[in-house]
Amino acid sequence: MNIVKSVIVCLGASVVLAACSAGGNNQGTEYAPNMYHSVAYEPYSQITDPGAGRWLTSIEYEDGHAEFFNSNTLNVSTMGVFMNMRTPPANTVPRNKNGWLPYRIPKDSLELAAKRLKNPVDSSAQVIAQGKVLYQTYCQHCHGAKGEGDGKVSEKYAGVANLKGDAYKNITEGHIFHVITNGKGLMWAHGSQMSAEERWMIAKYVKVLQK
Amino acid sequence: MFLERVPKTSNKFEKMTSDSRFVASALQPDTKPDMTKHTQLATLKFTFLSLLLTVLCSISFAQDIPADPAAISAGESLFNANCKTCHRVHQKLIGPALADVYNRAPSIDWIKSFIKNSAGLIASGDAYAVNLYNEYNKTQMTAFSGLKDEQIMQILAYVQAETIKGPPVAAAPVAAAGGSGDAGSGIPSSYLNAIVAGLVLILVLLVVILGFLVSALKRFLDQKDLSAEDKELVHSPITSNSILKSAGFSFIVIFFVVALGFKALINGLFSIGVQQGYAPKQPIAFSHQIHAGQYEIQCQYCHTGVTKGKSATIPSVNVCMNCHNQIKEGALYGTAELSKIQAAYDNNTPIQWVRIHNLPDLAYFNHAQHVNVGGIECQTCHGPIQEMEVVRQHSLLTMGWCIDCHRKTDVNSKGNAYYDKLVELHNKSSKSAMKVEDIGGLECAKCHY
Repeated sequence: MNIVKSVIVCLGASVVLAACSAGGNNQGTEYAPNMYHSVAYEPYSQITDPGAGRWLTSIEYEDGHAEFFNSNTLNVSTMGVFMNMRTPPANTVPRNKNGWLPYRIPKDSLELAAKRLKNPVDSSAQVIAQGKVLYQTYCQHCHGAKGEGDGKVSEKYAGVANLKGDAYKNITEGHIFHVITNGKGLMWAHGSQMSAEERWMIAKYVKVLQK
Repeated sequence: MFLERVPKTSNKFEKMTSDSRFVASALQPDTKPDMTKHTQLATLKFTFLSLLLTVLCSISFAQDIPADPAAISAGESLFNANCKTCHRVHQKLIGPALADVYNRAPSIDWIKSFIKNSAGLIASGDAYAVNLYNEYNKTQMTAFSGLKDEQIMQILAYVQAETIKGPPVAAAPVAAAGGSGDAGSGIPSSYLNAIVAGLVLILVLLVVILGFLVSALKRFLDQKDLSAEDKELVHSPITSNSILKSAGFSFIVIFFVVALGFKALINGLFSIGVQQGYAPKQPIAFSHQIHAGQYEIQCQYCHTGVTKGKSATIPSVNVCMNCHNQIKEGALYGTAELSKIQAAYDNNTPIQWVRIHNLPDLAYFNHAQHVNVGGIECQTCHGPIQEMEVVRQHSLLTMGWCIDCHRKTDVNSKGNAYYDKLVELHNKSSKSAMKVEDIGGLECAKCHY
C-alpha cells in the first residue's frame, strides 16, 4: 500500500506543479516575486493597482500602497490613464548629442525646406551603407528595394511614390528630409521613428538609389 | 491630371439648346424681322455650331488616343511609374479619378500642357485648371516636363482602355478564398481527431468481438472430448488475470508511473518563475504573421527603440496610423480591431498592451547592445515571430539560457575597433574564437547590480 500511496502523492504533486507553468493568458507562478517587480519606474511595467503584492510583506509604505505598486502618481494623465512618461516642461527644447535642435520648419513649407536645407552628414561609403540599412528598415516595405514604389505594403496602401519617377528624380535631400519628418500627400509623418541624423542618412541613400 | 468637374463655361451651350424658348422661336415663321429675332437666331446658330464642334472635338479626342496593345502596355508602365502615386483610373486619391478624362477635359492639348506644367496653366488663369486646383485643396500637381507628347498619349491610351474595362470587381471574395485555401491544404485538426476517434472505436469493437469469439470457441471445444494436452491448450494457465497479478507486471507499471510522475514533478518545479509560452490576449488582436511575415515590414519600423536603448519599445498609435489611416479593413477581423486604433487616435488615449516578456527586475538586459553591437537577429531570442498570429514568449529567459548563449556565441568583433586589442590579447592565449564569456560575459555584475 505504501507504494500506491507514494505514487498517488507523486502524481498529485506533479499535477499541482503543472499549473505553475505559463501559457495562454496564464503568466505562471513567480518565484520570489518581490525581486521581480521594480520599485522604480520602468518602461512598460508600471503597476497601477495600489494593493498589488500586499500579501508579500508587512511593510507599511507611507502613502498606503503595497509592495508592487510603482505607477507614476504625479502623472495621472488627463486621459484618465496612468503614465510613466512625462511631457517635457514648458518652454524647453531637447538637444541631441550633436547639439541639434528639433526640426521646426512646418509641414506646409516644403519648398522652403527643399531649397534651404543642406544635408549635414557627409557622403562617405559608411554613411551610404547606414542609410541603406535605415532605408530597408523604414522605407522598403512601401517604396520597394529599388525605390520604385513596389514594396509589399503598396499592394494594400494606395499611392506609394515611385522615387525613380520624373516627379521625384530631381528633389533635393532637404525635400526628402522634410517629407520623412512631416509627411506629404498620403505618406504620414515618420519623424517620431527616427533621429534627425538617421533621416539625413536616408535622404543620402535615396539620392544614391535615384541615380 | 486634375480634371474632375466640367466647368460651367463648357456646359453653357448644352443648357441653352435645351432651353425651350430658343426652340420655339426657331419654329416660328419669320414674319417680323426685328433685331431680337436676329440675335436669337444668331445665338441659336452659334449654339448649334459650337455643340457640333464640341461633339466633333470629343470624338476626335478619343480618336487621337491610340488603341493598339503596344501603346496601352507602354502607357501602363508609364502610368505606374509616374501617375499611380496620386491617381487611379476609377478611384479618387490625392488627385481625381482619371476615367473618361479625355472627354471631360477641355482638350487633349490642354491635358498635355497641364501634365507638363500645371502651375503655369493655373497661373495663366485657365478657368478649368484654376477650378481643379481649388477643388483639390490647392494641391499642386508635379510638373512632368520630361514626358513627351507621345508618352502622354500612351498614358491616355492606358486610361482609355481601363475606362472601357470599367472598375474592377471587388477582389475581397477572391482573397478570402485564397486565405482559406492555405488552411485547406492540410486536413483540419478537428477532422483528424474525429478520424482517430473512429479508428479507436473500431479497434475496441474488434477486440470485443474477438473476445466473444474466443469464449464461444472455448465453450464449443469444452463440449467435445479432448486429450489432456489439448485441454491445457484451451484452458491455458497464463490468463490475462494471472499476468495482471504477477510481480513483474506490477513492477513495470509502478516503474513507469513513478518515472513519469517524477519527470512531471521536476518539470513543474522548473517552470516556476519561467514564463515561456506566455501568450496573453492583447487589447487589439495584432498579427505579427501579417505585418512582419506577409508584408515584410521590418521589426524596427515599429520597435524603433531596439537600436537605441534598453527597451525595444512598443509603437505608439501614430506609427499604427502611418498605414491604418488608409487601411481600415483587416484580413482577419475586418474593421472590428482596426476601429480600435482609430478610436485611440481620435481620443488621444494610449493603447494599453499587455507586456509579454517580463524579465525580472533583478536582471539587466539591453536590446541595443545585443542588436547593434552583437548583430543578433530578433528571431534568435523571440523565435519565428513572423509566423506568430499571437505572440508568445519563445525563450526561457532564465539565467541558464543567457549564460548558455554567452558561452557559445563568438563576439561580433569584425569592423569594431573597440574589440581589436581584446581580440589580440585573446589570440595570444587561445586558439579558439573569442566568445562572449572571454570578455566578461559571465561576470555577475554585468547583469545583476
